[in-house]
Amino acid sequence: MGRYAVRRLGAASLTVFLVVTLTFFLAHLAPGEPMLGDVERLRADPVRVQALRAQFGLDRPLLVQYGRYLSNVARGNLGESFVMRRPVRAALAERLPRTALLAGLALLAAFGLGIAVATVQAARAGSATDALLGAATLVFHSLPTFWLGLVLMVVFSQWLGWLPVSGMTTPVEYERMGVMGRMVDVARHLLLPALTLALVQLAEIARFQRGALVDALGAEFVRAARARGLTDQAVLVRHALRSALAPVVTLAGTSLPMLLAGSVLVESVFGWPGMGRLTHEAILARDYNVILGAGLVTGLLVALGSLAADLAANALDPRSAA
Amino acid sequence: MPRSLAVPLLVLALVACRGRESPRAAAGAPSGTLVIAMPGDADVLLPPVATTQFAIHVADRLFPRLAELTLGLNTVDDSGFAPSLARSWTHRDSVTIAFQLDPRARWQDGTPVTAADVVYTFDVYRDSLTGSTVRINLTPIVSVTAEDSLTAVFRFARSYPEQLYDATYHMRIVPKHLLDTIPHERLASSSFATDPAVAMGPFRFVRWDKGTEITVEADTASFLGPPGLARIVWRIMPDVSASVTALLAGEADAVEVIPQRDEIERARRSPTLVLTPYASPFVAGIAFNMRRPLFQDRALRRAIAQAIDREAVVQSVFGPYAEVPVGPISRMVWIAQAPVRQLAFDTAAAGRALDSLGWRRGPGGVRQRGGRRLGFALLVPTTSRSRQEAAVLLQGQLARAGIELRIEPVEFARLDSRSRAGDFDAVFFSRTLDPSPANLSQFWHSNAIATGDNLGAYRSATFDSLFASAVAARGRGDALPRWQALLEWFNDDAPAIHIYSLRNNAAIHRRFQNVTVRPDSWLATVASWSVAPDQRLPRDR
Repeated sequence: MGRYAVRRLGAASLTVFLVVTLTFFLAHLAPGEPMLGDVERLRADPVRVQALRAQFGLDRPLLVQYGRYLSNVARGNLGESFVMRRPVRAALAERLPRTALLAGLALLAAFGLGIAVATVQAARAGSATDALLGAATLVFHSLPTFWLGLVLMVVFSQWLGWLPVSGMTTPVEYERMGVMGRMVDVARHLLLPALTLALVQLAEIARFQRGALVDALGAEFVRAARARGLTDQAVLVRHALRSALAPVVTLAGTSLPMLLAGSVLVESVFGWPGMGRLTHEAILARDYNVILGAGLVTGLLVALGSLAADLAANALDPRSAA
Repeated sequence: MPRSLAVPLLVLALVACRGRESPRAAAGAPSGTLVIAMPGDADVLLPPVATTQFAIHVADRLFPRLAELTLGLNTVDDSGFAPSLARSWTHRDSVTIAFQLDPRARWQDGTPVTAADVVYTFDVYRDSLTGSTVRINLTPIVSVTAEDSLTAVFRFARSYPEQLYDATYHMRIVPKHLLDTIPHERLASSSFATDPAVAMGPFRFVRWDKGTEITVEADTASFLGPPGLARIVWRIMPDVSASVTALLAGEADAVEVIPQRDEIERARRSPTLVLTPYASPFVAGIAFNMRRPLFQDRALRRAIAQAIDREAVVQSVFGPYAEVPVGPISRMVWIAQAPVRQLAFDTAAAGRALDSLGWRRGPGGVRQRGGRRLGFALLVPTTSRSRQEAAVLLQGQLARAGIELRIEPVEFARLDSRSRAGDFDAVFFSRTLDPSPANLSQFWHSNAIATGDNLGAYRSATFDSLFASAVAARGRGDALPRWQALLEWFNDDAPAIHIYSLRNNAAIHRRFQNVTVRPDSWLATVASWSVAPDQRLPRDR
């Protein structure tokens, strides 16, 4: 287990390094001026643009810039945003917890709902309910994330008036709330974007879990449990589900990249001020340092997520490391 | 797993909620909260270094100009301006204007606003190290000096009618006593640029939660008088549909412009919203690259222009929410109100012209001359759905005239770099114009070829001389025919075909009163907006 963990840690570090390198060269080789990201900036003074290029080291050869960037990253310095004029580390530190909150809740909801749906499907495998739930989750999986978000927004915010449309807090009134009120307010704003992300992930988890459950229900130990006179529900929940959960754990690691990618769109639609939106805006504005910083953090999260999932899978079933 | 994740999620929720300090004390008499859905965040809130319109909208509420343009946007005559920080001004001679500052004006820390602030502001804007986007507009001003604490004197390099406009429109006055120790090149990254705690009203800065919202509150002590609203909150909502849903759900009160036809219709059906139409400063069209031999042929350019039914394009893409511009300007600019001759849509005339130039119909209907097909590529930004739709319609119209239009969709930054480098046949450009017609020189004067703003490298001695004549005219009556002549020359010469100018619609909640919209700056009159007491929502109190 120890050697396996070290080997996987090495692979994760290499992945992060490759992500940083690839992001650096892709961002710099993409066409367009870093200082001229939006229409207003087209009127920027060429003298000033030149001065800014020098200030940010963009007038140096690409390999020199790359070397300087790696050296700065090693010292924890991610540079300054061209647009926001503030340290990238501070901007990411502000945005990352918000995306983590969103993605964390979406992950919980996707797994909770996915496992629940799969359990119902497996218990009635081959029935109309099974087919209907399978089709419904597939529909959610097939819908464009932003479109699903907009539909949920119209239904739950405009028509029913239950949940807020956008942002993280209610303007003005948030300041008048107590601590609990503020927590509830953030939670209300979080529900729709998290649900949107979760519904898209739901199908994959439900299909995976359903398959594992159906397999488990045909296993020897389940037949033995039935023979002992346990109810169908007890067999399903206490025996089959517990056994079938292990393979689904690995999905958590692979779901993380999907959730982070999905958060770019969801955060834009719902005005959620997270890292996904920050990255999207930085790409449009050619804000290299923010793009690279976000790439680094995303790479780290994905590598750590995969590492954690692999280690968990290995702990549950040591044969997986072979 | 859920139980083990609950604690970290709770911690994350607390971390995500932090960073929002208590607001400064709210002012008394004004009431009502205007929540504006804004598609993007500001960059910085210090006017000389702010580059986005979003930042300018906020900064304008904090840092007044010397004088304000009135709703007619008359940039030529003094009657088009209202006092603001300057309570009066005098033209001492043909190249000197002296501004008398309002003696009641105070920065929000109690320091009087003086002519030294005006001088400092000019120095900051004019310094290339500051990087102000309006520096180029201030080049006619030779100097600004403080004659005494309340008199700022502007001297110009030459006599021209828009001196007052140039002296007052581009600069917002900033506090010298708080900024003069900061090197100009560091102003953008200074803490004041993101936390302008001391301004001079009629609103004061409260908070900027980056990526989420910006809040300002009424400054009841402002020398401009207390505003009608207690606060303005700009909520960052990047998605247009989400913004409209927020309006319909009552979560937002106003949006500057709804750019999509289907979303305008959604807002129009709401009983709680009022759509306020106003002329847009935006104009879009096709610029030909005059460096290409094909487009050096004036008769060919004119034939292409005559083969295009711009009205049909506008109707199809925008319906009633745009119009065909009268030339290289939008309806917002005052010279657009007069009739201007344009090349009419006339496929027969276009066909005859092309025939006479030797471009004959060949296989597939495409015209040819000397074995060369008549066609060109059009750069279209992938970020603009409207321009992509319009390009497809233009392709069909030109095909009927025997001209092959190849649409080349490119990412916006690529379009910008290629068009500035002259690496294109034709480009579907867009421009956001200033209220002054003199703005035309920035894009079409031969002097603008070197700066890269004259994308197609259009060079016309006639245009340049007509422009010189128009900007020198005294008063609107004298200037208007000269501008008309300029526009008509441009339209006849056809270095570009201007396809559409938007008719903007601001959507504003019905409970707001005294709402007027100045086309170049939609919130210019917001200090006089108010909410009737019986219409107030909880957030208005």
